[in-house]
Amino acid sequence: MTMEEMKNEAETTSMVSMTLYAVMYPVFNEVKSFSSLAGSEVRSLFGQAEKENPGLTQDIIMKILEKKKVEVNFTESLLRMAADDVEEYMIDRSEQEFQDLNDKARALKHILSKIPDEINDRVRFLQTIKDIASAIKELLDTVNTVFRKYQYQNRRALEHQKKEFVKYSKSFSDTLKTYFKDGKAINVFVSANRLIHQTNLILQTFKTVA
Amino acid sequence: MEEDVKKVKKPGIVSPFKRVFLKGEKGRDKKAQEKTTERRALHTFSLSLPDHRIDPDILLNDYIEKEVKYLGQLTSVPGYLNPSSRTEVLQLIDNARKSHQLAGQLTSEQDAVVSLSAYNVKLVWRDGEDIILRVPIHDIAAVSYIRDDSLHLVVLKTAQEAGVSPCPSTCPDLSKSMTLGSLSESGAVLVEVCCLLVLAVDNKAAAEELCLLLSQVFQIVYTESTIDFLDRAIFDGATTPTRHLSLYSDDSSSKVDVKEAFEAEASTFSFQGSLEAGDNSPSPSSTPASPQTKTASEGELSTTATELLQDYMTTLRTKLSSHEIQQFATLLHEYRNGASIHEFCINLRQLYGDSRKFLLLGLRPFIPEKDSQHFENFLETIGVKDGRGIITDSFGRYRRTASSASDSTTNGNGAVRGDGDVGGSDERLAPSEGDEWDRMISDISNDIEALGVSMDQEGVTP
Repeated sequence: MTMEEMKNEAETTSMVSMTLYAVMYPVFNEVKSFSSLAGSEVRSLFGQAEKENPGLTQDIIMKILEKKKVEVNFTESLLRMAADDVEEYMIDRSEQEFQDLNDKARALKHILSKIPDEINDRVRFLQTIKDIASAIKELLDTVNTVFRKYQYQNRRALEHQKKEFVKYSKSFSDTLKTYFKDGKAINVFVSANRLIHQTNLILQTFKTVA
Repeated sequence: MEEDVKKVKKPGIVSPFKRVFLKGEKGRDKKAQEKTTERRALHTFSLSLPDHRIDPDILLNDYIEKEVKYLGQLTSVPGYLNPSSRTEVLQLIDNARKSHQLAGQLTSEQDAVVSLSAYNVKLVWRDGEDIILRVPIHDIAAVSYIRDDSLHLVVLKTAQEAGVSPCPSTCPDLSKSMTLGSLSESGAVLVEVCCLLVLAVDNKAAAEELCLLLSQVFQIVYTESTIDFLDRAIFDGATTPTRHLSLYSDDSSSKVDVKEAFEAEASTFSFQGSLEAGDNSPSPSSTPASPQTKTASEGELSTTATELLQDYMTTLRTKLSSHEIQQFATLLHEYRNGASIHEFCINLRQLYGDSRKFLLLGLRPFIPEKDSQHFENFLETIGVKDGRGIITDSFGRYRRTASSASDSTTNGNGAVRGDGDVGGSDERLAPSEGDEWDRMISDISNDIEALGVSMDQEGVTP
């Protein structure tokens, strides 16, 4: 896959599609548990529809919530649900470095998903931020380790994805600084969701290129 | 006695006793009254109840004063003292008052002013404003409020400069302090010590107000340092170079658009300055030498190399003041004109200070092969190699991954080198590649020097 194709893939798998894998995939898995065929089919159909119309799944969910008059903060809920592993993004190579990559990504997503529970207690939230910092560092270290050990034809694509991840990490840091001034937690949730999405894209990129 | 004197006194005659003593008394009372009326107003603000919230900007850019009584400071207090234990703290204070280390009776002589900001707690005498002491916030371990009958004490547990003191081995809570323990010749165990700064306030409300203000100061300071910690972790992970760093792009069809990459970095996302560095967000007017002129020559370098160097420049502009950038440029110039790597490292360490020593990590791409061993050793001695010392400094949270800990190479001399070295021993650069790299470094160094000069000409102040 060329650099351009990777970029297009990432743009297509944009932030809005996070609702599909964070919210709907667990639902499809439940459907699968009593009808494997039905579960696979509906998953495939939704995936196709989302690819053609990014954001479709989110719109459907929002409409359902509206219809049922369910008052829920969608962004916060998405963040709480986003920690789960997404099969499509997990690297299925057995080498230790790739398993580490899966583990570090999972750890980071898990800590980020805890933000809504911790944000109202300053002391605990500061501890969470430190944990996030350590998790980001460990993930990047693991990415660097894979770079060092393996030569790839499409190294540029991997470096680009790493750069994007760093960019969104910095953005998350900036959002936190603003939060401590204005107290608007929703922006932290949005930024955390973006960072989780970038974490998944790193896994996807390594899965595709490696 | 005064009344007795008055009764005996015949009208019209002033008793010599009265003339001498009472006049003096009246004089002193008068002076005390005058003193009270002469005292300047405190620099204070109204606080939102019930938690006495204050605008963080006041603590960051201003200060707030409160009136207290300064009883004294106890030194060489065992560090294992529990500041939450009323009994322990009062026992120390009582003993100190008995031995006159702390003031016994409270009079106007102990009147003082405590000045609070996000940087330090300063104590000055109420009259005369002579400074008593100043404690940086990071030296304060705990603040306690103890009510002892009519006395409302606020006690600050702070660091002491001389770190250790002998303690009898029979000390009951020795186990709490064994982190730095070692046996002295007498068999006593050396323990960490601290100071207790003992203040008194008028009432419970004043004590609670002071404690809550200090709590807010801690919140500000530790929030800032936590964010700084996050920034450093991201920086460290982002800039660790790879062993396979090459001068030529792997994919000839994907030339780097350096200008786009750099401007996206600089304009959209940047590191915010810490408390110490001040707010050094890059200003739109002080853009570095335009990278588009470099695109053709930089195209032969890999994306990672170019971006690492450009990233470092961006970070410098956010972490250093204009004066410091000039100093950095001077040091870089001197190094490139023959100064030793040792001198370069020492001077940079001094320039960056303790809080910014992690910036040295980003210099790896600048260090030529011949000096890289010394540079790596230097990083290790100051505790920043591969992030060690940055993340465990204050919080002890960092866990090195097994892969990064074990991944190391040896150079031709058999000395062990850490991972992440640019141009590792088993990949010596061919002369033409080395020349290209050297020229690139020269260009970037010139850009940094030019940045320092241009900021000086624009009159940018930190």
